[in-house]
Amino acid sequence: MTEALSGDLLTELGKNLVAGSLSDRDLMRQTIGPVERILPEANVVKIGGQSMIDRGRAAVFPILEEVVANLPRHRMIIGTGAGTRARHAYSVALDLGLPTGVMSVLGTFVSMQNARMIHYLLARHGIPFIEPAQFPQLPLFLAERRAAVFFGMPPYTFWQQNPAIGRIPPHRTDTGAYLVSEVFGARSMIYVKDEDGLYTADPKKDKNAKFIPKITVAELKALDLGDLVVERAVLDLMERAVHMRSIRVINGLVPGNLTRALDGEDVGTLISVA
Amino acid sequence: MYEDPTHPTHPADARHHLASMLMRESLIDKDVVAGTEGRATLVRMLPEAHVVKIGGRSIVDRGAAALPGLVTVLGDVLKTHKLILSTGGGVRSRHVFSIGIDLGLPTGVLAQLSIADALGNAHILGALLSPLGVVAIPPEMFGHLLPLFLHSAPGVIFNGDPPYSIWEHPPEIGRIPPHRTDAGTYLIAECFGCANVILVKDVDGLYDADPKTHSNAQFIPKISVAELRAKNLDTLPFDEVLLDLLPRARLVKSFQIINGLHPERLAQALAGEHVGTIIHAD
Repeated sequence: MTEALSGDLLTELGKNLVAGSLSDRDLMRQTIGPVERILPEANVVKIGGQSMIDRGRAAVFPILEEVVANLPRHRMIIGTGAGTRARHAYSVALDLGLPTGVMSVLGTFVSMQNARMIHYLLARHGIPFIEPAQFPQLPLFLAERRAAVFFGMPPYTFWQQNPAIGRIPPHRTDTGAYLVSEVFGARSMIYVKDEDGLYTADPKKDKNAKFIPKITVAELKALDLGDLVVERAVLDLMERAVHMRSIRVINGLVPGNLTRALDGEDVGTLISVA
Repeated sequence: MYEDPTHPTHPADARHHLASMLMRESLIDKDVVAGTEGRATLVRMLPEAHVVKIGGRSIVDRGAAALPGLVTVLGDVLKTHKLILSTGGGVRSRHVFSIGIDLGLPTGVLAQLSIADALGNAHILGALLSPLGVVAIPPEMFGHLLPLFLHSAPGVIFNGDPPYSIWEHPPEIGRIPPHRTDAGTYLIAECFGCANVILVKDVDGLYDADPKTHSNAQFIPKISVAELRAKNLDTLPFDEVLLDLLPRARLVKSFQIINGLHPERLAQALAGEHVGTIIHAD
């Protein structure tokens, strides 16, 4: 079966992987080891769809001014959310009985529209929009222009997994941006939304919602909140992450918050794996 | 606060909404999410297509010892069945994993690299099936054009990998990408509402131990995910993540593992016979 590879493989692990089962937990433990940080100086900044971009100029222009002001000091991989048009498309798809994978395609298109708009507003600074196929050029853009824009949806399209409950794609733009920060071993993952951070309930609907400045994933899961400020899938992924063990959620409607977050200051809510 | 006179009922809302069932809603809210369940019967986009994955290490890597017999059977069944075929990456994926791990590359990069191996195997299978008009389709266009391809040809081939690439999830243990070609094959079948999923391997199905190393391993013809989890087996002859995906199935609630070293079983399985192990959601 493996004659072409029966000579010396690079490592003992190589021999075991070629011959063994990838569902063997002992073998999987042999794959634990140091992981390089590919883009350790980059910050992944996700700009919310419904929370920021759907507000138009009033919210988008100030946050982009802040992005530009920070370019001399920080490198940013800027992801975009989808927002109200995704909710509209999802509603139509739900009404028609379309599967989750098709809804994932629809969400991708909306976050791509938002990425294009952000990109055109940053174009004069030489900042490109990259689709997944262009990610190999990302290091060059970060080195030369210090930022690039991507659409936040992970490109799972028809391969999006079903949620446990309901039909909405469980892995959306928060997850896609998070996974970019994890795989590249980025410096930080910052979510720019329209609330000061995490609350015990949706502060838009519940006046008694209490602000939570800092919390661990385990504590957050134990609270079992009905609503959250980031996709639940992000919390599950954080528990398995090698590099990105904390994320920050900030209010992008408050000038200076992004700068403070990029500088590593304590602003918004910090969610971390203990 | 951010006053918006155009939204008197939502004074703090300066967001520009489109009217829809999900308008203003948090898609993370449990009640909102629960409300999206069962609103309409799910559409089956390709209900007559059968999805068959030809194992990488188990079949394709054996070359002439295993593949021509299956290709003959495939040629027969393609006269009567529409097939979505996929392949695994086999030992080349195992090899690139080992080099990548040695170099300290993360799971997402390993997932991106291994796509090329399964794609190579898809092209090997496509070369053998090309007289029938069945070829490997580039992953970039496969999903979107799948119904068109399948309408035009008796079958199509794709690399079984889901397009997770650098967006692959970190695994529970270690570094190997958890969503590999069995998972990608299953997910496409579930999304398109296909007739069934058959994973073609080099064992008769599931045993309570690896039959290659345990001569007294007991064969399990049919089992649910819950029963299988309870057994806590050391190894499984398919991507373990299928045990997470299958309970969330809406359309394709089981798959069958068959032994491709007995190629006639593929025709039997496509005819609805139980010739291997069936793993079902509940």
